[in-house]
Amino acid sequence: MDKKPSHVRTVVAYIVLIFLTFLCLFFFYILVVNATRNHTQIQKGFSFIPGKSFIPNLKHVLNDANIPVLSGIKNSLIVSSLSAVLATYFSALTAYGLYAYNFKLKKPAFIFIMLILVMPTQVSAMGFINLITKMGMLNTLFPLFLPSIAAPAVFYFMYSYMQSSLPLELVEAARIDGCGEFKTFNRIVIPIMKPALAVQAIFAFVQSWNNYFIPALVISDNTKKTLPILIAALRSADFLKFDMGKVYMLITIAIVPIIIVYIALSKYIVAGVALGGVKE
Amino acid sequence: MAGITFKNVVKTYDNGVTVVPDLNMEIKDKEFVVLVGPSGCGKSTTLRMIAGLESITSGDLFIGDQRMNAVPPKDRNIAMVFQSYALYPHMTVYKNMAFALELAKTPKEEIDKKVHAAAEILGLEPYLDRKPKALSGGQRQRVALGRAMVRNPEVFLLDEPLSNLDAKLRTEMRSQISKLHKQLGTTFVYVTHDQTEAMTMGDRICVMKDGIIQQFDTPQNLYDYPCNLFVAGFIGSPQMNFIDATVEKTGNGFALCFGEAKLNVNNEALAPYVGKTVVCGVRPEDFHAEPQFFGEGNAIDAYIDLDEMMGSESYLYLDYAGQKLVTRVPARYAKKADENIKLAVDVDKIHVFDKNTELVICQ
Amino acid sequence: MKDIKEKEISYAKYGYLFIAPFFIAFLVFQFIPLIQTIYYSFFEYYRSGLKIIGPNPVGFANYEALFASDFPKYAGNTIIMWLLGFVPQIIVSLILAAWFTDIRLRIKGKQFFKVVIYMPNLIMASAFAMLFFALFSDNGPVNHALVSAGLLEQPFRFLSSVWGTRGLVGLMNFLMWFGNTTILLMAAVMGINPALFEAAELDGCTPRQTFFRITLPMIRPILVYVLITSMIGGLQMFDVPQILTNGKGTPDRTSMTLIMYLNNHLFSKNYGMAGAVSVILFIIAAILCLVVYFTLNSEDDSRKIKKRDRFKPRKEALQNNG
Repeated sequence: MDKKPSHVRTVVAYIVLIFLTFLCLFFFYILVVNATRNHTQIQKGFSFIPGKSFIPNLKHVLNDANIPVLSGIKNSLIVSSLSAVLATYFSALTAYGLYAYNFKLKKPAFIFIMLILVMPTQVSAMGFINLITKMGMLNTLFPLFLPSIAAPAVFYFMYSYMQSSLPLELVEAARIDGCGEFKTFNRIVIPIMKPALAVQAIFAFVQSWNNYFIPALVISDNTKKTLPILIAALRSADFLKFDMGKVYMLITIAIVPIIIVYIALSKYIVAGVALGGVKE
Repeated sequence: MAGITFKNVVKTYDNGVTVVPDLNMEIKDKEFVVLVGPSGCGKSTTLRMIAGLESITSGDLFIGDQRMNAVPPKDRNIAMVFQSYALYPHMTVYKNMAFALELAKTPKEEIDKKVHAAAEILGLEPYLDRKPKALSGGQRQRVALGRAMVRNPEVFLLDEPLSNLDAKLRTEMRSQISKLHKQLGTTFVYVTHDQTEAMTMGDRICVMKDGIIQQFDTPQNLYDYPCNLFVAGFIGSPQMNFIDATVEKTGNGFALCFGEAKLNVNNEALAPYVGKTVVCGVRPEDFHAEPQFFGEGNAIDAYIDLDEMMGSESYLYLDYAGQKLVTRVPARYAKKADENIKLAVDVDKIHVFDKNTELVICQ
Repeated sequence: MKDIKEKEISYAKYGYLFIAPFFIAFLVFQFIPLIQTIYYSFFEYYRSGLKIIGPNPVGFANYEALFASDFPKYAGNTIIMWLLGFVPQIIVSLILAAWFTDIRLRIKGKQFFKVVIYMPNLIMASAFAMLFFALFSDNGPVNHALVSAGLLEQPFRFLSSVWGTRGLVGLMNFLMWFGNTTILLMAAVMGINPALFEAAELDGCTPRQTFFRITLPMIRPILVYVLITSMIGGLQMFDVPQILTNGKGTPDRTSMTLIMYLNNHLFSKNYGMAGAVSVILFIIAAILCLVVYFTLNSEDDSRKIKKRDRFKPRKEALQNNG
């Protein structure tokens, strides 16, 4: 009897969903299309059909000495990969330390991490810049990935995952089997944590790949710049003189790899979001 | 040679709770000992102290002749089977069983030989390449046993290994573990909260409560001669009946009186209790409906609250003189609920306990 | 007999060992810098040309200067732009979560929609802002399209208009976060015992009543959590307005956020003022952190049991898909 209202609701739901899908995809579609068109075509207006200037635009971007794209990609890859590895490994190690062992400072340590769970790093940026200047790390990539060792949100995810998937009896079994504590972590715990590590590695990678605030303060040397800094540099240049094909191409280079990885791993990632709850 | 000896062992946790106040126990070499008791009685803690998973607050633990307090688990020559089996989920059955040997740097061929030997005994050979996830509960259980076996330990520790299995498998594994014990000829220490498991498997059973050993004896002795109310109530199913009775002096001895019953017990141990209330323990099967058991003063005429027909016998839940009783009588003598039944108490099998100290007076 | 305290089997030292890297990294890269930041907020310490002035202790002078400056205005900007993104975000996410979990609607392609709506969250915010800047510039594609469709007579100068700029920032924040919020809320709704919905249906609840009387109250803890984390995210708002307005907060600094202001002080090396801004931000963030801590904790009792299940089915899903 109430078939009809349900029907209407379904139609409304699909319309809204399709509109939102359009909103999410439209801008990226324009981006990719414009990356394949040349400056004059872009100036003329808007098109849904890709142009033929993909290769020329790419060449222009790669040959521009002011925007060292290749070294930008390389730096971004180095920083993001190392951040992902450090954040996941050490967060898992920390979570394991607090999960599997009993010691006096266990509870205070846990509470402390939970308290700083969502503390923005920006609040200590000033001291951070000062400190790394003194340590001689200004204009190096180290300050961009070393702090990832302390990633409270990743820790919390790992800790929750251990609570649900790592029975302490396993650790004890390993102890009886003669497995050392550190070896137990690497040979038993890490393999069990693999799904959690993968999801968090992806998030940590993306976060670092997209990070702009701290790198912009730390890096001034052109060869050390990461992609977001290059994009920002594009913005501060005199925009009107710019080849728009080049602009879109650079944005494409910064965004598309992540989108491809995302689509390939989307099932893991979406499931990971639902599990995590906590993400910066 | 690997007996296990506890000498004045105390276990206090970091939060100040003492779970084992003063434990003295001797487990003989090649013995199958079952630690049994309600949850929180300290049985698991005791087992884990043998394993080295819990530190010992004070006292001494010996395995064989060696003091083990500060020896790490791997050097104690023990193996343990956990309640959850604790199989490494990312390793195959083979790897699970070989892991300890690998860590001990055993040569490859020897590992192979030992794993296959254990797998053969346990019927696990077809599954060696599977991951634990692809196994049934019973198979996982056997892998856990196999992992313990390959190490040739002097002591096997088993922590509620059957509690995750369904009833049928549990009975099956019970006999398999008993068989394994005979085959291997090593010391087994087995923790359970299930008195049936304890009774059927143990050479000796150690009944614990609040970290204190109540009685440590053979199954038969525990059943026939429980030393206190707790053991009497814990061992046996359905539970022993506890009846408050007054002790009276009679011509040639004493009588335990409750309701119309006057049970004659000629035991001098009752002398100090004349005129006082004691607790009579009567096992459900020691009530008899058969006519030949009736004698002077040992009959009760009780109202049946509920009857449970079990096939060959029937459990009757009785209300007699304000006390609830359970009896187990042959089906052909049983009656239905809401009827009255006349039963005789087997005076020779009666247990008498002090109401205050809960210790046995005579049995 | 026991004259020497024997070596106990204790694993406590491994606990300390394993958590040490985290705490050392935190100490070096966040705690010490934070202390220094707070310390210098009480000093006159800046660069003028090539000369470094200070550090000279000035007490609360920096804070006084801060509140006399446009700082309150920037705080207002931040709040406005956060609201412009957050309000639509929470409304849309709630509706979507309700739809996706409504068995009676039977929406097909849920996974596809989830993948699509989450995607903007992973996009580099600076690149996203740059893209919007290009698309919405005075003679960019959007204006072209609007004019040629006859909707506008002449291009609308989005980035010269106060609400145009703020609206774009809000729109971007909305697009980047509504997918994330939807997925979180969905997970929360699916965590509710399905029998509850069935009971409601038997009791004659309409979908609307079910949503307001059952779903909303049950997911309140997650809503609080989403709100607070979003506030912290809003507090950190930087990349999008920074790139969109080239760090100027145009027009007339009406889209300048707190972190952009901090960034300006950091770039001009005015450490005293940067410190004062940071301390204010720290205090706000600390309050929000406390709220998060207590929401997670109060939730813990009810979630402890659920959490065990929470990972299980999905973890298996992960493994099956892999």
